[in-house]
Amino acid sequence: MNRREFLQCAAILVSGVTASQLGVALTKEQQVYLAAAPNYNAGASDLLNEAQRKVIAAMSEVVIPRTETPGAIDAGVPRFIELMAADWFNDEERAIFLSGLDALEARMQSDFGSRFDELESAQQLAVMEAMESEASDSSWYDFANVQRDFISDAPFICQIKELTIWGFFTSEVGGTQVLRYSAMPMYFDGDVPLSPDDSSWLTRLG
Amino acid sequence: MKNSMIETNNIDFDAVVVGSGISGGWAAKELTEKGLKVLVLERGKPLEHGSGYLGEHAPDWKLPYQGKRPRELYSEEYKWGSKSGSLNEANRQFWNNDKDNPYADDEGKPFMWARADVVGGRSVLWGRQSYRFSAQDFRANAEDGHGIPWPVDYDEIAPWYSYVEKFIGVNGRNEGLPQMPDGELQKPMPWFALEKTIESRLKKKAPDVTLTSARAAILTEDLPGRSACHYCGPCPRGCSTGSYFSSLSSTLPAAKATGNLTVRANSLVERLEYDPDTGKIARVHVIDTVSGERQSYSARIFFLCASTVGSTQILMNSTSEQFPDGLANRSGVLGHYMMDHTLGESGMGLFLDNMDSYFHGNRPTGLYIPRFRNLDGQDADADFVRGYGFQTYTLRMDWSTGFNAKGFGAGLKNDLRKPGPWIFVLSGFTECLPYEDNRMYLSKSKVDRYGIPQVAFDFEFKENEYKLREDARKHADRLLKAAGAVVPVPAGRKNMSMPGEAIHEMGTARMGDDPNQAVLNKYNQAHDVPNLFVTDGSFMTSASCVNPSLTYMAFTARACEYAVKQMAEGYI
Repeated sequence: MNRREFLQCAAILVSGVTASQLGVALTKEQQVYLAAAPNYNAGASDLLNEAQRKVIAAMSEVVIPRTETPGAIDAGVPRFIELMAADWFNDEERAIFLSGLDALEARMQSDFGSRFDELESAQQLAVMEAMESEASDSSWYDFANVQRDFISDAPFICQIKELTIWGFFTSEVGGTQVLRYSAMPMYFDGDVPLSPDDSSWLTRLG
Repeated sequence: MKNSMIETNNIDFDAVVVGSGISGGWAAKELTEKGLKVLVLERGKPLEHGSGYLGEHAPDWKLPYQGKRPRELYSEEYKWGSKSGSLNEANRQFWNNDKDNPYADDEGKPFMWARADVVGGRSVLWGRQSYRFSAQDFRANAEDGHGIPWPVDYDEIAPWYSYVEKFIGVNGRNEGLPQMPDGELQKPMPWFALEKTIESRLKKKAPDVTLTSARAAILTEDLPGRSACHYCGPCPRGCSTGSYFSSLSSTLPAAKATGNLTVRANSLVERLEYDPDTGKIARVHVIDTVSGERQSYSARIFFLCASTVGSTQILMNSTSEQFPDGLANRSGVLGHYMMDHTLGESGMGLFLDNMDSYFHGNRPTGLYIPRFRNLDGQDADADFVRGYGFQTYTLRMDWSTGFNAKGFGAGLKNDLRKPGPWIFVLSGFTECLPYEDNRMYLSKSKVDRYGIPQVAFDFEFKENEYKLREDARKHADRLLKAAGAVVPVPAGRKNMSMPGEAIHEMGTARMGDDPNQAVLNKYNQAHDVPNLFVTDGSFMTSASCVNPSLTYMAFTARACEYAVKQMAEGYI
């Protein structure tokens, strides 16, 4: 099943509308539970070209690098960002994303004569820190401004950070190898010792 | 009794129950167990317990957008459902599509009507909080003069609360408080260490309040066919182990086991047909929402359990020469005296206690501070009547509450992966008085895709509700400080919900002894039509400040016993 079919199936399964209403027929194997569905970030997208993909991957890795644990690229974050930019962003957000990517590339060519992903990691960090500094007036950084779906006019660097962090910690790799995850905890204990180096649970109550 | 009822007069069913949610499920169970052949009509799609829960136990990485909500789709098609935080892509199949099945939300005043659209109704999605009304709640209208007196008192309904609690399974703690009557409870869920810290501080510094376990219809002990909670977390995706109570997991299977149950999904009730010769309802008229075909069924008794707004809409749309203003509406109160609780964050606090204590499992309920205002007559400093309770939420900050920090790299990654401080939230649930001019009505200009008039709302919270919110905010601040919050955050705009947002709409066909002032008598039977019973939130004469579903269940079970007795004795 390709990604488009998957999303149609997911939409059908969760909305309860009949397959015929969406113009696709569900085969037996497609009638899956979400828990048995392919990972979201394994889907295909054609929003970006190969060069742009390398830039997005490098940026996400600057936000969440591989350390002794997996990083953004290991966790499939670059594809998550592309899928979200293609399918989840509205037109305004997608325009900020694509023009931000173009502007970054133009700047890299004039400043360094190479693409962002070809820079040394210290240079990559400096570039992104400069972008964050330029964006620091955005309400995206406001204290406790986290209980919302998205800030539509958030600058490109904030889009990258939010999608990287969300895409990383809710991925299978990030959720199970960097955070902790248990689908079936079986009991509740409200007083378990926490060591200074322990990670949070990946939890969802809704 | 069984035979005499079933083998007479070409009647299709002994009883028709409209709606399969919390109330309809109970009506189906009670009536079938007493030997009646019952038809349950459900507007929504079929949903099978267990196998129908397609989003259950799916980790974030399997969800569309890894759990981010598709905003455009929700604003276009789930305008009202999406205002509830519990709609997401793992449970959207349960929700009403507000574009396909709209209401006249551009008439009257803003009102949020959040609906399910499946067999099981909102019992699949509900918050599971289960509290008894107190003796004071049943006396309140008579004592302060708002609304009309309840025709029942606490002692009369208490055995029915017990009956219902034992079947659905409610966990919690009995505290011996008159404002929170003891119940038939399963053992409470464990507490966070921080909650025990807060409890000990409140005992010393705020002895006027009691911090106790919330009472939730989630099993901590097995019941037949249902297992104790496995603490996976997101209840509203459905629970194949039946650990939380829903019609699908509990009452409908019990009804089915009798062999007397027929459930018909995709069946929208258009109206009830009144027979002037007998003075009773003769038939229910149904539209098949898939084929568009119209059908009708006859029965001896009819139970409306289609939710407050749904049942009231059916009554309003069932006009006749005898009832030009809506079925069973000689009193003229149908649609009026509508209530909803107000809710919202009355305050929250950041806590740095118990930082080296963490948790295992996702506890799907919180703690509760029962009403502590105006308990013994009017408090000297209260410029309002009635009261409120606090439901509490305890959470540990994590990456999802800190992702907008500045910085990059290993340091950011390490900060985000670790738990932050604790947050303890006090969410006030506030009583709403019954006002004649808070009402729902049928739009004169708008119909749905079947030609049925859409409902509209003319509802607003008034002075007493706002004063209660303000008092809740003040006391939340006091309690958070007493509890040791490092940073108490006073409630902002979130302190007041919009009408309907509590999803506790009720009161539009209230019960009372006086047929000139009430639609229903004390047994949920229509004063004007003896074989018509309404047992969802429509019957509520006042709202109390506690979540109402347990009360709907208790009154439904009681009404069923009464109805069957009346049938056996030949009155209906």
